[in-house]
Amino acid sequence: MEALSKDVAIILVPIVTIILGIIIGWLGQRSGFCSIGGIRDFILFRQTRLLKGYIGLIISAFVFYFIFSWIVPTAFPKFIWFLQEGQLFTAIPGGPGGLSIAATIICMLVGGVFVGIIGTLLGGCPLRQLVMTSEGNLKSGWFVIGMFAGALIFSAFILGWVVNFFTLIGI
Amino acid sequence: MVAKSEKKGIDAILRKPLTAGIIIGFLAALVQALLFPAGGPVAYGFCVACHTRDLIVVAFNDAFGTSLFAAPISLAGALPVLTIIGVLVGAVIASLIYREFRLKKGNVKSYVKYALGGFFFMVCALLMGACPYRIALRIGYGDLIAVFGLIAIIVGVFIGVKIALKKMEAE
Repeated sequence: MEALSKDVAIILVPIVTIILGIIIGWLGQRSGFCSIGGIRDFILFRQTRLLKGYIGLIISAFVFYFIFSWIVPTAFPKFIWFLQEGQLFTAIPGGPGGLSIAATIICMLVGGVFVGIIGTLLGGCPLRQLVMTSEGNLKSGWFVIGMFAGALIFSAFILGWVVNFFTLIGI
Repeated sequence: MVAKSEKKGIDAILRKPLTAGIIIGFLAALVQALLFPAGGPVAYGFCVACHTRDLIVVAFNDAFGTSLFAAPISLAGALPVLTIIGVLVGAVIASLIYREFRLKKGNVKSYVKYALGGFFFMVCALLMGACPYRIALRIGYGDLIAVFGLIAIIVGVFIGVKIALKKMEAE
């Protein structure tokens, strides 16, 4: 099957993503779905209820990427990523651009550790914080406000500093 | 009344995090199949960190004429991805329907703590180029570099649990 034309897809972006969000918000509220909570509950209590959800997400993403890439191949370039030629040590774009693979891995490791620590100490991953905000938790509401501020400051300043830093030390 | 009991049956299934994980994985692939022609990157169906960034950055760019970085999919359209607004709305609707909306206040100190937490969480997540959810999607797409991120998050949660236990002992 052919993918949609660019013009149609652009119009669909806000409509599709807001419906997607509403469904995920509903599911998140009903199930208490939480990635970091899943890992935490397993480490603390050997409880797998939430962890199953996160592992299910990884497996389900792979299975449905596989199925959809077969139906609409043009919308799934370079799937399966690491099996493509020369892509074993390439990351999917989205992080700070223009960094070497070593620098990207350093960003992953440093960022990931702090994401884990903060998420654990403040009772949840960002999805859980959004859902708790909607359930009327004002503390989570402030977390979300902090998230928006962090995103803006990161894009305006920190992104540039990170790229300069790695250029400077030559990694 | 018949409809209500039926709703209960579906709700019991939706309350399982595993169901939520599988549905989110499916939706992420479906959204990419529909929206990828509007712009990349791949494995971008759902990400709390990146989608929050896109929302605030595009709004800021429009208001102040700046050209901060957001994902191509959000820069292409008249509106960026609206997933985050959807999540908030969806969770509010669910918590009102199931009467789980409770206003929970904290003190000013806790608000500052959560706001700072959200701020640094977002900075670290954007450093990784993913929140825990996009890490799952990237692994599902076959990005081996993302596995480093997941390992780092697990290490972070482990450290966070240790800190939390230490704090509880001290009290």
